[in-house]
Amino acid sequence: MIVTLHLVALALYGLTTVLALAPFVGQRGAPRVLSIALPCAGASAQVVAVSQLTLVGLGPALSMLALCLVLLQLASERLLRGSAVSFFAAPLATGLVGLAILSGLTPDASPAPGRNAWFVLHVVLSVLCVALMALAFIAAALYLLQFRELKARRFGQIFQLFPPLERLDQLNRFALVAGFPALTLGVLLALGYGARFSGEGLHLAKAQLVWGIFTWVVLGWAVWVRVVRHWAGRRAAFASIAGFAAVILVYVALKLAQPGVERFL
Amino acid sequence: MTSHVGMGIKVVGVNHRTAPLEVRERFAHGAHEVPGALARVMAAGASGGVLLSTCNRTEFYLLAEDEPALEAVWSLLGERLSVPASGGAREYGYLARDRDAVRHLYRVSAGLDSMILGESQIQGQVREAWEASRAQAGPVLHRLFQTALHVGSRVRTETALGMGTASAASAGVAVAGKIFGDLAGHSALILGAGDMAELAATCLTNEGVHITLVANRTQERARAIAERLGGRAVSLEEAWPHFATTDIALCSTAAPHTVVTWERVGPLIAERRGRPLCILDLAVPRDVDPAVRQIENVFLYDVDDLQTVAAQATARRRDEIPAAERIVEEETDLFWAWYGGLGVVPTIKEFRARMDALRVAEVEHVLKQLSHLSSEDRARVEQLSQALLNKFLHQPTVALKQAAEQGHGYGLLEALRRLFGMEPPA
Repeated sequence: MIVTLHLVALALYGLTTVLALAPFVGQRGAPRVLSIALPCAGASAQVVAVSQLTLVGLGPALSMLALCLVLLQLASERLLRGSAVSFFAAPLATGLVGLAILSGLTPDASPAPGRNAWFVLHVVLSVLCVALMALAFIAAALYLLQFRELKARRFGQIFQLFPPLERLDQLNRFALVAGFPALTLGVLLALGYGARFSGEGLHLAKAQLVWGIFTWVVLGWAVWVRVVRHWAGRRAAFASIAGFAAVILVYVALKLAQPGVERFL
Repeated sequence: MTSHVGMGIKVVGVNHRTAPLEVRERFAHGAHEVPGALARVMAAGASGGVLLSTCNRTEFYLLAEDEPALEAVWSLLGERLSVPASGGAREYGYLARDRDAVRHLYRVSAGLDSMILGESQIQGQVREAWEASRAQAGPVLHRLFQTALHVGSRVRTETALGMGTASAASAGVAVAGKIFGDLAGHSALILGAGDMAELAATCLTNEGVHITLVANRTQERARAIAERLGGRAVSLEEAWPHFATTDIALCSTAAPHTVVTWERVGPLIAERRGRPLCILDLAVPRDVDPAVRQIENVFLYDVDDLQTVAAQATARRRDEIPAAERIVEEETDLFWAWYGGLGVVPTIKEFRARMDALRVAEVEHVLKQLSHLSSEDRARVEQLSQALLNKFLHQPTVALKQAAEQGHGYGLLEALRRLFGMEPPA
């Protein structure tokens, strides 16, 4: 059932990707209602599936990340008054769901120690933060592409389909500022229940701790330069992209050092 | 165009294709002139009328016979010509009847007949014309204009005919919109006080942009525009410091060389701390030194760039014409079906009932005088009167039904009602 629902979500996100990218290959864009309905339906299927998972392991983490990303994509449609975020978010979500299926998605029959509401909150907040950083990255990438087209006076598909610079800048700032408290709380919860249940078999892996704190520092820096140093526009976009890339690279490096799908890290 | 002559829907007028601007502006009717003009045409025999007058067209939509209502329109327009043309106003105009007239209005409302293909302003103008002429429109034109607005909405929602921008000035607004998003609340300064500057500035103010300054060599003209748009008139020299704060700079002076140079505005733009500045250079020759474009966060567009944006939008809109025409044709069919059958059945019923009542009264009257007749003979007289009535009414009934099927029923019904003193339908 869980895998079937993920396959449904995969198909719907895949279709969203095709429709989102169609104008770039000379095809007519999808009606707006379809660009909202398809990811909505995919997210609904995923919500049902994720509710049956224990949120432990690489597969569930990737699935949660895809779900958060799609939900943020839908939320950003309102701010941008368009579906530009789906140019990046839809293929990314499709890939993440595909990887989640390949990594294995099975419900955990025996709840492990410490897997309570606080644990779920920690996972949700942490994954949400990574999704928000991904959204900031997408907004920054869209910004830089639109900036380049506007400077070069090219009025093609990117100019037509991408949102205005100021709205992308606002979306980038919002995603970073919203992500920071979410991650702070997520990291504090991890540290708290890690200490509380350390005697009952729950171990907070060193890699998780390193990555969590590294991400928190990077995100904190990104928020600081935006809010305190008033960075905006191109400079802020480069900072977001660099920060997100660093977070992903560190994750990949840590994962390569400790392979396996039982834990997300 | 059909060759049908008689009571029916007609459109007579001039537009941007048939008449030059100096003629169109003479034919244009202000809202206060509409009732008088329509009253004059109605007095000439039209039973309904709507006058649509915009800067690109003056059209009378009438429910009338060809003559003399149409003659009244031509003479009304002809009187406005400063130099009488040999053919009068007719020389600049056109006439469409029945189905063609319906299709014409639907195309107008959809923006298919506009100078800027797909522009949406016309739909509001059609609505205003209908509302201004409501008292004189009558039920048929009332329905025609109501459906025309529906056609306009359908075309704009079901096709991309109205998407994008189609003039250099509106393209400037679109490009600025791609930088700032919602333009409301952003500021703009205007260099130059010509017609182009004023038109583009008006486009910006329509989007909620606040015009702060109008700078020009001659202060008088700058003051006039500044007053209209809500800004302050200054000299060109006074305008340069404002490049540090404004969001949009609209340049359209008549200077023979560049006036916005790196030396003048470069250091000021550096004070913006990365905030974007959109410069729209609508002047030919250009007002802005292309080197200014090199400054980070300066987005400079000249007339060629803006015309490229406008041309792309127009090209995209052209692709939508077949889809829009299909909607117009569908809706024309629907209207024509309604118009064709309008009131025919109830009128025929009423007409036959009246005739039958007359027959019954006359037969009764005669039979009273022929009291010696047997009941069989009386029945024969009754039968004879019935047969005669049926024969007399057969041809008019068939003709009415045929006319209805061809969409000309309304004219014949009008004639029938007048000839037999029947009340018009409620």
